Amino acid sequence: MAEEQLVTFSLGTEEFGVDIMRVQEIIRIPPITRVPKAQAYVEGVINLRGNVIPVVNLRKRFGMGLQEETDLSRIVVLQFNGKVFGVRVDGVTEVLRLDNDSIEPPPPVALGMDSHFIRGVGKIGERLLILLNLDQLMGGVVQNEQTA
Amino acid sequence: MDQDSNNKKIDFGDFLEFFLLDSQEQIDKLGAGLLQLEKDGENIALINELFRSAHSLKGASGTMGFTPIVELTHNAEDLLDKLRIGRIQVTNEIIDVLLAVTDKVKIMLDQVKQNLPITEDGGDLALVMKTLAEKGSLTEQELSVYKKTKSDKNITKSLIDFSLLPTELDNLKEAILAGNAIYQIEVTLTPNTLMKAVRAIMVIQRLEPLGSVVKVLPSVEELETNDADKFSLLFITKESPEEIQADIGEVSEILDTAVSHYSISDSASVVNQKNQEGDKKGESHPSESQESTGITHNVDSPPNAQQAKTNTLSSELAGESGNNQVHTIRVDTLRMDNLINLVGEMVITRTRLVKISEDLHAQYQSNGLVSSLNETNVYLGRLMSDLQESVMKLRMVPIGTVFSRYPRLVRDFCRKSGKKIELVIKGEETELDKTVIEMIGDPLTHIIRNSVDHGIEIPGDRLAAGKPENGTITLDAYHEGNHIAIIVSDDGAGLNLKKIYNKALQQGLIGEKEELTDKDIANLIFLPGFSTADKVTDISGRGVGMDVVKKSLNSLGGLIDIKTKEGEGTSFIIRLPLTLAIIQALLVEVGVEIYAIPLSSVIETLIVKNSDIKTVGGLQMVQLRGNTLPIISLKEKFGLPEDREKQDESFVVVVGLGDKAIGLVVDELQGQQEIVIKTLGEYLNGLPGIAGATILGDGKVTLILDIGSLIQDVLISDRLK
Repeated sequence: MAEEQLVTFSLGTEEFGVDIMRVQEIIRIPPITRVPKAQAYVEGVINLRGNVIPVVNLRKRFGMGLQEETDLSRIVVLQFNGKVFGVRVDGVTEVLRLDNDSIEPPPPVALGMDSHFIRGVGKIGERLLILLNLDQLMGGVVQNEQTA
Repeated sequence: MDQDSNNKKIDFGDFLEFFLLDSQEQIDKLGAGLLQLEKDGENIALINELFRSAHSLKGASGTMGFTPIVELTHNAEDLLDKLRIGRIQVTNEIIDVLLAVTDKVKIMLDQVKQNLPITEDGGDLALVMKTLAEKGSLTEQELSVYKKTKSDKNITKSLIDFSLLPTELDNLKEAILAGNAIYQIEVTLTPNTLMKAVRAIMVIQRLEPLGSVVKVLPSVEELETNDADKFSLLFITKESPEEIQADIGEVSEILDTAVSHYSISDSASVVNQKNQEGDKKGESHPSESQESTGITHNVDSPPNAQQAKTNTLSSELAGESGNNQVHTIRVDTLRMDNLINLVGEMVITRTRLVKISEDLHAQYQSNGLVSSLNETNVYLGRLMSDLQESVMKLRMVPIGTVFSRYPRLVRDFCRKSGKKIELVIKGEETELDKTVIEMIGDPLTHIIRNSVDHGIEIPGDRLAAGKPENGTITLDAYHEGNHIAIIVSDDGAGLNLKKIYNKALQQGLIGEKEELTDKDIANLIFLPGFSTADKVTDISGRGVGMDVVKKSLNSLGGLIDIKTKEGEGTSFIIRLPLTLAIIQALLVEVGVEIYAIPLSSVIETLIVKNSDIKTVGGLQMVQLRGNTLPIISLKEKFGLPEDREKQDESFVVVVGLGDKAIGLVVDELQGQQEIVIKTLGEYLNGLPGIAGATILGDGKVTLILDIGSLIQDVLISDRLK
């Protein structure tokens, strides 16, 4: 049966999932350099072993309230279309497999956040997992609307 | 056309070497590929590759103005294209013709190499290729043309060592220039012929009326005592090989005669085979396989022909290595970039080492180990900067490679428009980073097209204005400190400032009360949205796309400036950084952030009393030695929080490019450091005021300020807002 392997992480009380093949690595939060005049959701850039990569603050991106950095905070480094960027999350929870059957399309009115970002909703028993649409996280339609 | 190619050649002497190297490579590729194709039959990938080779050969020759080569390669390209799309099938005929083309081009390239005009004529081959491209095969009638060209192709067949003396070689060259062909004739006598020397003399006598015999091998005397039953002649003539053959055939007791072209460039390869000279000519000659292959056979028996070609190909390659030493090697840019990246990482690591050593020194000042670590660090630093410099030099390319495309552009335009323009190129040898070279081409083209199109007047107007009929556009490049300046100037009509001003007013780009100097007005053409294209005026087009030019130059860390005087002409001055990868930078603190300012842009640093900062027209200014200096606060510019206590004084870093300068207000100066420029990546590219990022010794990312864009922002946009 077709299934997906996902890395899941948390933002506040919500749980999110991204395709494991997109995840390059997970790191603790290094010093982040702010980039003036960049989109508000871009927290800044970090040094990833000699490469400079941008970091998106997912809380800002999803319009959630900001939260102090904790011991659990991490940056998930993602690869998408050959480009590398990081997303800052409150904590990484686990790696799990999910049957395609248990993935449902995103609800029309998505959990208080822009439904652009959501690829679908996965169900594991009582848990709801929001599957992210990576191409919208950095750039994509939403960014264009904002910058226009 | 030959005239034409001559002119170009003189202009581009310096780049001839690059061109020849590249063309040689493409020709070799074509040659080898064609042979492979003959074996494979249909091989689309290979055909595509061949097509590309032919195409780039055509392009390169076109740039250099070698029209005869362009003509040949163009037709070859067409033919390959037909093969590619499957309109015609690969046949031996086609391969033969294409190989003949590569040989022909080789001869032409040889002529170019020897600084001779291209006298080889590819017309017949071009015709054959056209026919092939249309029909895929040749008729009997066309075959006769083809046979003729076929014999041309045999030019590379020569392998006989005539041990030519330099004077004889010169004679041959002269003969070629005079329109003669040089043939090697191999005569095989009937076995056991008596008086072989007499046969040879008879052959020579037969040939004498047709041209001149340069050399006979073995010599007539040797023939008398030798038991070989073959001899070879080197013959200069204007006659066709068929005629020579027929003529020799009339001498009795001759078994076979093979006539083929002798190419001078092959003589070098022949020298390499000298060791075989002592052997019996008849049995051990390397070209024996060809000796039985007469011209007429060649056409009918492609396998033999192919073999012959393979032979000549390898022998020619051998000849080249003996002939001209290769002084350059071509390296994949990826490998080079990798090397440069590694050096960059080393620079960063060394910075860290220095920091550690400083910390250690602070802690254990008297320790001998610490001092020797310090010393070693200093030495390593010297080595690193040498290494860095050497590596950076690898990326340097003379700007002439870019300039060389413009004479054509200007000439073609003159042909079309009837204007008379001379393009003067100076400073071609000025070297620039490869990345800059790659990106400077388009903006320059745009500027030159503008000068040609709108700067220079038509001859009538020029004469009326009391100027020489011929307009002049000068393209110049030279070093200016850490920058390179490229200047495009014309002696045309100059910008019509009044029209530009009115237009900008009309388009709402400037306010009516704005007082602008002439320079400011001229710079208006770089504003995005400024356009005079909506109707035809004498300045129409002048501003079109200039904002794009400015933007692309800014992205290279460069600046563009205009000097114009009505009636006298316009100069565009472009200033670019020499290299893009590793730079010296001044680190400054703004709030909690650290920014790097390229040291090449830093003029001086000042401490300015806040009370001395005046606001003029929305722009902050200070007086500096009698001049007003616009200043901007980086904190405001970048929207950083005000988190320090207000001081009475501020640090101001005066930065400038060309004759423009502004002051940047910062909180603290941290010092000077070597930094490696890294890109911010696609997501964050093109942010205003940020040129890139670097990683400091402590591993933290620091942004590099884009001085060019900051200055132009302040001096143009802010002022005209």
